[in-house]
Amino acid sequence: MPSSVIGQTPSLTTFLKSLRQNDIENSIELFISLLKRRQIKNSRPCAIATTHLLLRVVAEPKRKWDAQKLIARVRHVGRRLIAAQPREMAVGNIVRRVLGVIREVAERDEDPLTDSEFSGSASPITGEFQRPALPTRFSEFSPLHGAAAMPHNMHSGRPGTADSTSMDFGSAPQRPALLSTNASYAGQGPPGTSLFSILQHPQGRSPMATPPPGTQSPVTGPSPSRKGTGGEIPEKLDIKAEVIDGIKELQDELDVVDNQIAESALDHIHSNEIILTHTSSQTVQKFLLTAARKRKFTLFHAEAYPNNHEATHATILNGAQGEDDSNERWKPLTSLGITVILIPDTAVFALMSRINKVILAPHAVLANGSLLAAAGASTIALAAKTHHVPVVVLSGVYKLSPVYPFDTDELIEYGDPSKVVPFEEAEFTDKVDIVNPLYDWVDCDLVDLYITNLGGQAPSYLYRIVADHYRVEDIDLNAKQEAMAKKG
Amino acid sequence: MAEQGEPAEQSKTADEPKVSAAELKKRAKADKQARRAAQKEQEKAPAEVPPATNGAHQEHLTQAQGVQQDQKGKATQAKGQQQPKPSKQGGQEVRQERGGPSQPPNIPLRNKAASTAPSKKLPKKDNTVVELLSHLYPVQRRPNLAGVSKDVHPAVLALGLQISTYEICGSSARCVAMLLAFKEAIQAYTTPRDTSLPRHLVSHHLSPQIDYLRSCRPLAESMGNAIRWLKKLIVELDPDKPEHEAKDFVCEEIDRFVHERITVTDQAIAASAQDQIRNDSVVLTYAKSAIVEKTILQAHEQGTRFRVIVVDSRPLFEGKRLATSLMRAGLEAQYVPFSGLAHVVKDATLVLLGAHSMLSNGRLQSRVGTASVALRAHKADVPVIVCCESVKFSGKVALDSIVLNEIAPPEELLLSPIPEKSPNHPAGVATTAVTGKSAAPGKSAAPGKDASEDDEPAKLKTLHDWNSIPNLRLLNPMYDITPAEYIRMVICEYGSVPPSSVPVVHRLANEGM
Repeated sequence: MPSSVIGQTPSLTTFLKSLRQNDIENSIELFISLLKRRQIKNSRPCAIATTHLLLRVVAEPKRKWDAQKLIARVRHVGRRLIAAQPREMAVGNIVRRVLGVIREVAERDEDPLTDSEFSGSASPITGEFQRPALPTRFSEFSPLHGAAAMPHNMHSGRPGTADSTSMDFGSAPQRPALLSTNASYAGQGPPGTSLFSILQHPQGRSPMATPPPGTQSPVTGPSPSRKGTGGEIPEKLDIKAEVIDGIKELQDELDVVDNQIAESALDHIHSNEIILTHTSSQTVQKFLLTAARKRKFTLFHAEAYPNNHEATHATILNGAQGEDDSNERWKPLTSLGITVILIPDTAVFALMSRINKVILAPHAVLANGSLLAAAGASTIALAAKTHHVPVVVLSGVYKLSPVYPFDTDELIEYGDPSKVVPFEEAEFTDKVDIVNPLYDWVDCDLVDLYITNLGGQAPSYLYRIVADHYRVEDIDLNAKQEAMAKKG
Repeated sequence: MAEQGEPAEQSKTADEPKVSAAELKKRAKADKQARRAAQKEQEKAPAEVPPATNGAHQEHLTQAQGVQQDQKGKATQAKGQQQPKPSKQGGQEVRQERGGPSQPPNIPLRNKAASTAPSKKLPKKDNTVVELLSHLYPVQRRPNLAGVSKDVHPAVLALGLQISTYEICGSSARCVAMLLAFKEAIQAYTTPRDTSLPRHLVSHHLSPQIDYLRSCRPLAESMGNAIRWLKKLIVELDPDKPEHEAKDFVCEEIDRFVHERITVTDQAIAASAQDQIRNDSVVLTYAKSAIVEKTILQAHEQGTRFRVIVVDSRPLFEGKRLATSLMRAGLEAQYVPFSGLAHVVKDATLVLLGAHSMLSNGRLQSRVGTASVALRAHKADVPVIVCCESVKFSGKVALDSIVLNEIAPPEELLLSPIPEKSPNHPAGVATTAVTGKSAAPGKSAAPGKDASEDDEPAKLKTLHDWNSIPNLRLLNPMYDITPAEYIRMVICEYGSVPPSSVPVVHRLANEGM
């Protein structure tokens, strides 16, 4: 293990610190070992660590990515991370989101490029009227992009020069504002560049083609998006820079996700409500804190013994604690005048008839609206269902996994049995089979509402959000590369 | 939910008359005293401490106050407890003498010095009580023997302590232990000159014992049934019978009762229930029931090959004792915390549950958490079978676990430290923090300054400070009520009956005799 981590208990904080110093391969190994040792666990820390790590991977100095290489690289890293701890689904989710970002950037680049490839090849021979058929090839990939790219190629197609293609490359073709610039630049480009150079262009190796984009990029570059400062090979730099931007956006999302969820607190909690929650989730605490500023309610807090009760007690007594920054603590709910009643998990059924709402925090949410949550959650949800008490799940989109639960048992992780019975009781631990599951599977039937950072959703709608956030190609990261290569 | 509230109230009033009138009266009296004492205490005037004592009245008062005090003592300081008690009690005593029920409003005016106290005390008092269940609170556990009536027999005294520390736990065990202690108490009884045993024994000798036991922990339904039976037996004695003969007769009857209603019954139930366990069964049970344990062990002795899953709960960890005894018997046992319930129910082929009491509407009152177990099993189509002696059948009805329940001291929920409770707990991380930090319990939790990397011990507050946090409460209910529809069968000594037959068996067994 790298020297920087020695001396402290490894955790998310130490990992993030060490990221700056270690080289990438070491960081990946370190993260893998932290995952395996559960020194980084739970969705949010895993997600944060993954974004930081992938940021490093993408931003790897002295590496020039093209989209396919970058995708392959991220997939490769992602597979290793997921293999290290397949049940931390947030890792896989983030990897997929990053892959999605890369693909999007790549598509933005490729669409105009390949279009103009064809335009270049087609226009001299057959003219532009054949081209409307072309985007179909891309429409299966992303119909929107193909369609958006089409009209602007109609404009720039005729000149069909290397310049126009290279310039399109740097721009975001779906932005209508760019059309005019594209066209105008296309007009200016040196005519008569060979078809050969156009076709070569995607690789960007043509010395003929590179200088014009280099000179143009200061003009076109800044307008579509923040880009590299017009390096020698803009398309490579662009991918890198845009993907980095994309990952940073992802990090921002992780930062604000709780606040976004909490914003809807007042829409869901009314005065004098009696609410039940479970475990020490930050998201739930923030949600309740937001509600508590305006409204008074009573909170029953089940303690999630034996895996999370200490954190739960600490949350109730001292306020929730940010994982990434352990110095920061929020006010406890009690200081806002909310009556918090700590109960053992067993008492949930007894009290359920008086509870108005159950709020749960998931470990992961799956595509069909089911969720994995701390052990005990499904008993609570079931008790709520039988008492017709609504169950509300607060989950950031980053917890939403495209995995469809065919076998729920394999998703459950089992924890340290010594938390149930300490190993000092040797005879007991030796002869009795002690089981301590960490997670519970809660079926989508038991959930009434999801509140994500995108707003409230019915469990049955989650598959749409999954479709919005993950590319089909990325859902199975272990799928053979060729299958994707065909598409990409 | 709203519609449930009303029937619950009804059920409460409905079952009220079933408690004997004397009991009711006594309870009401104790409540009143306690309330008054509490009011007094809030106004807390330590200025007047002239220790006026007056015997007859004090006896009752101290009990109520001792109880109240207990609550307070724990509320104010979790450790040093009973120190301020005597003086305060004296003070209350005095004011109790002076002022009738209309008195309290005047008091703050009279002692202006003390008038700052109430505001400080008030939230603390509230702090221990969950409003929703406040009706269950007046009955509080006795912490020690201070203020116990002198009439209480030593055997009963010992029993009370054993019961309140859960050393004797479980409805039938408590019932048997109580009857055996009463036997000794009855043997030690001498009838005063101008009265007869049947008239005097119950009201003057047994009642203090019963009150004492009740102050240790609310009586179980089985104990109630046994007491009712015993009272009836004594009252119906021939007044002319010589005292020692009468006492011997009562003791013999008690032995017979224990034998018939519990010992033999247990055997019958175990024999009947073990037929439900077949080869390759997976029996799931929750917490610990003596009769379930017996059933399982008998089935094991008979050579049935099966597996047992013991689901356990905080804070009593009774299931661990059951698992230990099964382990010793060589059974294949699996031990799961309550949180893992969902994972094991689907493996089970049979759920065996013990009972605290079977209610007349077919619902089962048992250790808190049982309802969840039964619900899960019901949803998984695993038959839920309750083993219950008819002595635990009750005439009461209940719809939910709120009206009819027992609240255990919230301190039991604290993990480890405080020495008395240590054996139950896996060494809590918070242990070290208590001594260091609880010294300065800030009024409001104002964290965020020094919570550093080393998580638990550095924290400002541990659960032991719960009393100093104004809006925090700990709730530790003992029982919950399992809806009848989750129960496939109740096995009692009258045979295997559906839960709907509970009232019939109850009438037959407890009221018919």
